[in-house]
Amino acid sequence: MKPTPLDRKVLRDLWRMKWQVMAIALLIACGVSVAVMSFSAQRALATAQADFYAETRFADAFAQAKHAPLSLARELAAIEGVSALDVRIAEVGLMDVPGLERPATARLIALPQDERAALNGIVLVQGRLPDPTRTDEAVALKTFMTAAHLHLGQRLSAVIGGRTFDFKIVGAALSPEYVYVPAPESFMPDDAHQGVLWAPRPAVERVAGMSGAFNTAAFRLAPGASAASVLQDADRILSAYGGRAAYARADQPSHAFLDAELKELSTSASILPPIFLLIAAALVHLVITRLVEAEREQIGLLKAFGYSDLEAASPYLKLAGAIGLTGALAGGVAGGALGAATVDLYREYFRFPVLEVTFHWPAFAGASAVAVAAALGGSLTAVRRAAALSPAVAMAPPRPAAYRAGLLDRLVRGAGVDQATRMIVRHLERFPGRGLLAALGLASSLSLLVGTQFLFDSLDQVVDQAYYRTQSWTDSVGLAEARGLAAVAEIGRLPGVTAAEPVRVVAARLKAAGREETTRLVGLESDARLQRPLDARDRPIPFKGEGLVVSEALAGRLSLRPGDRVWVDVLDGRASSGLMTITALARDYSGFAAYLDRRALNRLLGEGDLANRAELLVAADARPAFYRAVADRPGIIGASSRDETVAAWRQAMAEAFRMTLTFYVGFAAAIAFGVAYNVTRISLSERSRDLATLHVLGFGHGECAYILAGELAVLALAAIPLGVLGGQGLAHGLVAAYSRDELRLPAVITAQSYGVAMAAYLIAVLLGGVLVVRRVWNLDLVSVLKTRE
Amino acid sequence: MDSSHATPAFDIRGLAKVYRTEAGEVHALRGVDLQIAKGETLVLLGPSGSGKSTLLNILGGLDRASSGSARFHDLELTTASDRELTRYRRASVGFIFQFFNLVPSLTARENVALITEISRDPMPPEEALARVGLAERLDHFPAQLSGGEQQRVAVARAIAKRPELLFCDEPTGSLDSESGVRVLEAIVEVTAAVGATTMIVSHNTSIGAMADRIIRFRDGQITEAVANAHKVAPKEMAW
Repeated sequence: MKPTPLDRKVLRDLWRMKWQVMAIALLIACGVSVAVMSFSAQRALATAQADFYAETRFADAFAQAKHAPLSLARELAAIEGVSALDVRIAEVGLMDVPGLERPATARLIALPQDERAALNGIVLVQGRLPDPTRTDEAVALKTFMTAAHLHLGQRLSAVIGGRTFDFKIVGAALSPEYVYVPAPESFMPDDAHQGVLWAPRPAVERVAGMSGAFNTAAFRLAPGASAASVLQDADRILSAYGGRAAYARADQPSHAFLDAELKELSTSASILPPIFLLIAAALVHLVITRLVEAEREQIGLLKAFGYSDLEAASPYLKLAGAIGLTGALAGGVAGGALGAATVDLYREYFRFPVLEVTFHWPAFAGASAVAVAAALGGSLTAVRRAAALSPAVAMAPPRPAAYRAGLLDRLVRGAGVDQATRMIVRHLERFPGRGLLAALGLASSLSLLVGTQFLFDSLDQVVDQAYYRTQSWTDSVGLAEARGLAAVAEIGRLPGVTAAEPVRVVAARLKAAGREETTRLVGLESDARLQRPLDARDRPIPFKGEGLVVSEALAGRLSLRPGDRVWVDVLDGRASSGLMTITALARDYSGFAAYLDRRALNRLLGEGDLANRAELLVAADARPAFYRAVADRPGIIGASSRDETVAAWRQAMAEAFRMTLTFYVGFAAAIAFGVAYNVTRISLSERSRDLATLHVLGFGHGECAYILAGELAVLALAAIPLGVLGGQGLAHGLVAAYSRDELRLPAVITAQSYGVAMAAYLIAVLLGGVLVVRRVWNLDLVSVLKTRE
Repeated sequence: MDSSHATPAFDIRGLAKVYRTEAGEVHALRGVDLQIAKGETLVLLGPSGSGKSTLLNILGGLDRASSGSARFHDLELTTASDRELTRYRRASVGFIFQFFNLVPSLTARENVALITEISRDPMPPEEALARVGLAERLDHFPAQLSGGEQQRVAVARAIAKRPELLFCDEPTGSLDSESGVRVLEAIVEVTAAVGATTMIVSHNTSIGAMADRIIRFRDGQITEAVANAHKVAPKEMAW
């Protein structure tokens, strides 16, 4: 089909305005690419998760006991709503890993008789399963092996419950329970120190000293079954055997983290694209409006020749559509690539046997449709104006653009104000809508920059609060059983230890106002120095009698205020309960702890002066000797180092956020650039005649450029307070969207972040402006004087 | 006025301008020789494309010659840099255009002030506007003025800096005869007051009556340069 002359006009206009078209298409591309990227990555994760869970029959609910006879399994399986049951032995100890200073946690899990029928199966990615007849072979978690630089055939020795387990790694496996492995008592991963091992049941029975018994149970629920009632029944049946709180899949640490990540992808897919598309629509509106204004004679001519209103206006609609489509296509390509890059990044954190990214066509189609609709919508008023032009009006020579002295004029009254500045002010006053749209667009760019820089500041604050204010220990060790203070004192005598404080930690369920939350009760010394809850002003909160200090987040969930009473069910060990009074609220950003005097906790438990954790100050140069000593102590099941944890976390964050932040800075800069470029370009098109005239009359290039650049500078500066406010709003929005149970982000933005955001913003605006303003040096002086406006 | 005896404002020798287009070379000026005396009023007449506007643009410092020489005092326009040309336009030249070229966002007074602000010894904008009969319309924007009034603002803007040279390109080309006459009167009155050398390009042969000399162009060359012995005031011209 031969293109009509009007179609040719559209194509030539596109070519003539290519830079403007590209600047707008870039914004549309950003919007579409974020949608495509997020949905593609989300589907890749969700598909990998669903396939992995199905393949390994990942359980719907979990329960633990101290020592339950295998015969109890029948009773558990008979719980209404349970369709499959898996009971096993899982024990925790420590092991020395060559190359690691600090001993790693060794979580030893018994392999089932029939791996293919069991729940929470493992997928072997290397090597083989252990010989069922041998007691010295094990499969290790692939993530642990990679992080700790272990290889097949390597021999290791773990100390679990005082017994030594010597084994050879014969296989590497992935497990649905450990797709993401947060370190204990932390929201951060520490893969090298989180060893998970699977060995044949006889070997585990020997190490755990458990025969004919189990201590963990996993349940598959029948469709439509009530998880709550299954959990309740499981707790009831297991309570006599030291049963701990049964929990649903939603509270399983690995699954919860994965779910939060999927939710975050939805958040970025729903927050960012609308911003880009709205700004792109506004720019299309400005550009097409200007084009119609500049071409009113041509439009009138077409109508005089007999073109209908729609025919005469259609080139502008097509132009808008073409801009939308160009952006959408570019966004699709970029989104596909970014989706693949995101999934690559996920492979570092989420270990699935198969994690493949596929292009999300529905997201692309949907986002493209919205993008084209936004571009068309943006052009609508201009197109309507073109259609409404009467041939006579369009053909008549235009009067000079009507200006008047406006409100802003009063600000620039006075002898000191030159006429060039007056031109800037009057132009802004004549097009207040455009100025407003431009300022909003620029402000949204700055908001995005400020609001995303905040993530770093916020996480820093979390780490600072958790590891340097509330807690000030350098190392902490967990004990397999609650022990007397002599055990802690003994740890205090290990090499390098300069201070040791006993801590008692138990799981508990808090009930108030018809709501309940499972949490940790942390029993501290009344004069503890190494860990103490802080109030909102960072002051240590003293304990009062049997009173409870709860974290603000936990208090929020249970609607608790100081002075309220809360029912506490202890879930560890011997069941005990009691009504306790809230004496104060503590500010912390991770976890949901409740603090009380350790002796008060022991009284609630009906036990003596016990502790199951020791928090320590260890001299840095004595660490290797300290860890060697720890690894030899059978009663110790975990050792954490604050500095290592924080360093590992910072590195992980830096890696994870480098890409995200590059996206955000790039996207935000694209907005500032696109808006600055287009607004200045439109201004140049309106003023090229004025500027050429001024140049003819003796104004230098710089003086002419000042008029264009001045207008952009006013808009860019006016957008700053708005952008900063928007950034703070966005930060609060992101806090709400990204906060999880285990991690609540404070909305803090440092001066440095403001500085980085402002610098990126100004550079992008400057670039957009300079690309246009430099054209002042190429103004055609002669032709502009021979043409009417 | 006899240009050969007066102080020369311009000395133009062998001036040529060639435009290279896709269709080939266009010779807009083919070796123009002309001496213009200080204070002289020239009217350049000729059909479209005859080269009169090209000459005006080169002498105004808006365009460059391909060869030849055009000297204003010590400044050789054909070899001057962009910066020198800008300085020349700023200090020495006043322009009046066919389409007025006022800045629409500035009032009459501000349009004149635009130039007086960057000039060395200007007259106050109010005085310049009073000279062209617009003392009552100082604070009107261009959109609030008639075509003739807009062009008179342009005249005021051009002469407010007391230029040595005044270049007018079809100054009445978009005006009715009555407005055109008023604009020409304004030009005559104010150039006399500031003593500017004036060149007016026009299609309208009757405008030649107000000149000291009439220069006729055809095909990029001067075909005739005649002194006008019977110079008349614009309102007495047969329009």
